[in-house]
Amino acid sequence: MIIGEYKTDYGQDEGIWNTWAKKLGFVVALLLLLLIPFIGNDYQLLMAGQIAIFVIAVVGLNVLVGYTGLMSLGHGAFFALGAYTTVALHQFFPHLFPLITLIISMVVAGFFGFLFGLPSLRVKGLYLAVATLSANFIVLFFIRQDWLEHLTGGRGGIETPNAYFFGTELITNQQKYFLIVPIAIVMFLFAQNLFRSRFGRALIAIRDNDHSAEILGISLFNYKLKSFVISAAYCGAAGTLWAYFFPAILPEDFGLNMSITLLICLVAGGMGRSLGPIFGTILILMVPELLKMGAFYFSEGNASAQIYFSPIRDIVFGLMIIGFLIFEPMGLVSIWDRFWRFINRWPFAK
Amino acid sequence: MLSVQEASLSFGGIHALSELTFEAKQGEITAIIGPNGAGKTSLFNIISGFYKPQAGRVFFQDQDITHARPDKRAALGIARTFQNIALFRGMTVLENIKLGSHSRLKSGLFDSGIYYGAARREEIALRNELERDVIDFLELDHIRNLHVATLPYGLQKRVELARALALQPKVLLLDEPVAGMNREETEDIARFILDIQERWNTTILLVEHDMSMVMDISDQVIVLNFGKQIASGTPKDVQNNPAVIEAYLGTSAKGAA
Amino acid sequence: MGQFSQYVMNGIMNGSVYALIALGIVSIFKSTKVVNFAQGHVIMFGAYFYFTFSVMLPEATFMPDWVLKWEPEWLAAYKEGALMFSPKAAIAGWVNNLPRIILGIIGAVICNGILGLLIERVFMRPLLGQSSFAMILCTIGLIWVLEGSASLIWTADVDQVPPLGPNFPIRFTLFGEQVFFFSASVVNFGLALFLFGLLMLVLRFTRSGVAIRATAEDQSTAYAMGINVPAVFSSAWVIASTTGAFAGAILASRNGLSPTLGLFGLSVLAIVLMGGLDSFLGVLIAAMLVGIFESLTQWQLGGEIAEIVPYVLVLIVIIWRPNGLLGQAEIERI
Ligand SMILES: Nc1ncnc2c1ncn2[C@@H]1O[C@H](COP(=O)(O)OP(=O)(O)OP(=O)(O)O)[C@@H](O)[C@H]1O
Ligand SMILES: [Mg+2]
Repeated sequence: MIIGEYKTDYGQDEGIWNTWAKKLGFVVALLLLLLIPFIGNDYQLLMAGQIAIFVIAVVGLNVLVGYTGLMSLGHGAFFALGAYTTVALHQFFPHLFPLITLIISMVVAGFFGFLFGLPSLRVKGLYLAVATLSANFIVLFFIRQDWLEHLTGGRGGIETPNAYFFGTELITNQQKYFLIVPIAIVMFLFAQNLFRSRFGRALIAIRDNDHSAEILGISLFNYKLKSFVISAAYCGAAGTLWAYFFPAILPEDFGLNMSITLLICLVAGGMGRSLGPIFGTILILMVPELLKMGAFYFSEGNASAQIYFSPIRDIVFGLMIIGFLIFEPMGLVSIWDRFWRFINRWPFAK
Repeated sequence: MLSVQEASLSFGGIHALSELTFEAKQGEITAIIGPNGAGKTSLFNIISGFYKPQAGRVFFQDQDITHARPDKRAALGIARTFQNIALFRGMTVLENIKLGSHSRLKSGLFDSGIYYGAARREEIALRNELERDVIDFLELDHIRNLHVATLPYGLQKRVELARALALQPKVLLLDEPVAGMNREETEDIARFILDIQERWNTTILLVEHDMSMVMDISDQVIVLNFGKQIASGTPKDVQNNPAVIEAYLGTSAKGAA
Repeated sequence: MGQFSQYVMNGIMNGSVYALIALGIVSIFKSTKVVNFAQGHVIMFGAYFYFTFSVMLPEATFMPDWVLKWEPEWLAAYKEGALMFSPKAAIAGWVNNLPRIILGIIGAVICNGILGLLIERVFMRPLLGQSSFAMILCTIGLIWVLEGSASLIWTADVDQVPPLGPNFPIRFTLFGEQVFFFSASVVNFGLALFLFGLLMLVLRFTRSGVAIRATAEDQSTAYAMGINVPAVFSSAWVIASTTGAFAGAILASRNGLSPTLGLFGLSVLAIVLMGGLDSFLGVLIAAMLVGIFESLTQWQLGGEIAEIVPYVLVLIVIIWRPNGLLGQAEIERI
């Protein structure tokens, strides 16, 4: 039995923070995020920063794959474009304000998102997956070229700049945390809001039934491309923060493996659900760390056993993705839902 | 108001429509009848833009829309329902209905992402309007928050009608709105259709196999067979037209009659 | 002109290997509607199995010597006085290797067949009826499982594997210029085309071929007609993995062994889409086109650009024809 909801106008019904539990949860989460930089050690802050960056990218991917129903195996390319744009910009303007870099990266990645999205007007499903995968290979190919080496470092990779925030260089993970996490929160909320009104509703309609969406007045051309642009811009933003966060980048960092990892985070968390990217990214980025610890523990620091680590991590990842598809196709969010349903109904029913 | 001129549409060797010409008058209910495969749904498809006719033109309010994209036609005020229900199955009734009003709303990407402000105002205004003009009107208030996939067939059809109505259409195309319904449900829908016509002066095109309903509510009837118009006129004229009787009962019936 | 035809012919020979790999992807797609992103990795397993049975096993102490090197008397007589790199020496060397080549092929085909069966049963069967998105992701997950397992199983340094055919250079003049091949490439080419043709004949004329085609047409009707659809699915995976074993052996002898061999699968996937997923002929044409273009770009623009040729071509082709060169458009109704 669900306890009644009391609302006096439709505005209240349209709200999303409509139960006390949700309000409380949001406040607690914000407080936790504020506390982490003061209680976490450097390693934990490294993980936290990395997770926040990935969350941005996966939230973006969710807009395209989860909500619009278009497949992409090429989002690593947008990540790369964001990161390399940042590096290139800082060569000319060493102290560029990070938010400006961020916006330029998003525009650049968004423009390429537009180009990647053009095939989506003609091809669907698998064909689109392979088209985006191809585009990813092509983008990385150009980044590796010698004639762009002065900007990109070519195949040898390049060192990345630090962000300057009003004259302070952000060096420690703690300092960077305060740049990354607020941006992640704002971008997360923006994406979540999209699906509360006209724009996001149109995307979901395209996912559910593109022909009837079009006949209801939703321009497929317009919305599919915008969806591509948004998700690419999110990955571009993640790329910028990635460049600020890590000391160097290589073209290989952004290949198919990256694109697939982003997808796995999304599937593990739950596609087309706002909390999915958060749950999925935390799980997927924590697993290798746990494995690493386990490997270290079992091999008692024996270095020769460490060579087994990377194949085992690959196998675990592969099995996890398949396991989710078979046993929990809606991702971690559906476990979360079951938990809350249980809490809501307790003690009246199970 | 809405007219089709010498439109032809074929799939490989099948001529779904051949040089079909007809016109629907403002504020009237025009019924389109004909045996299975006569081309009725195809006609709706060229009006709403899902297919483009290979020859001929489609006019809406004196504007040539033959080559307009489907979403543009919706924005002009053409709404339809589908013979095989085409609801958004993952969504609730309310969300489906809101989608119908997509082309009337304004908030874009940034309004939507920021939400508080323009998008929220628009959303609440829309909600109030839909509750009054669509949900109450079609008696859907008890199911507005249910997922459409869980609803029985008859209600799903009614939600589709609601979604089309949310567009505030000037022309409403209804493809077999009462197929598979019992007498009582059929009468409900017939009453809704007449109410819509009366309340908003909407031009309605109705494809339906239920002859008693067609004869009861329509102002004009057009009979198709093999993609051609074989008769048209008031319900009474059409009922007594020998060509129509032949199309429905086959040639052998003529000898028997 | 001679140079040109040399590169075109190289391209056709490479293309035939692509076609053989693509064959697996198409047969799985035709019967199960699953597009196997991991086909390249199944082939990589074939390559490693071939290595295991043609190199590791013959070298084991318990194996009789003649498996590693077969030296019957007549062969010694035949070899008498043959020059190094002459066809005669190459053929003799090939006969030396024949027992382990045969052992390698048989072992690879059997083991890879079992692998295909296992994948279908354990990973794909539970997903039956799910969206194609889920299926694609599942095969992507498979990529990681297979890649990881291969580097766990075959940790030792890998050796050369014996080529499937005798390997000597063939030279002749064409349009007034020297043209040049390795005979092993010609053997690979013939083998790939033979297997491709064989499978098409099997699908056309045998009972199980008809069952596969019926399932491809309409799964539920096939069920209703008494066709054992799950068995069809298994057999499609077995066909793909056994033909993949041959492709693996060819690749191992041509490109060497490494866990990254599987990446071939992705460029072949591009080829398959270019040809049109459900058309064997289209895929064959696309494979040859890509082979030729790759080899011509290599000649004119260098090896690096050649890497992205399949990806550029597939983009052009599917924007121009969204269902590939010869693929059938899906009829959409409302
Ligand atoms: N996409 C398509 N591809 C091939 N043929 C089609 C297609 N759409 C319609 N047809 C054919 O066109 C003809 C007219 O079909 P249509 O759906 O317009 O008939 P209808 O009058 O609506 O019939 P019903 O009363 O059964 O709904 C039929 O022969 C049909 O098979
Ligand atoms: Mg019809």
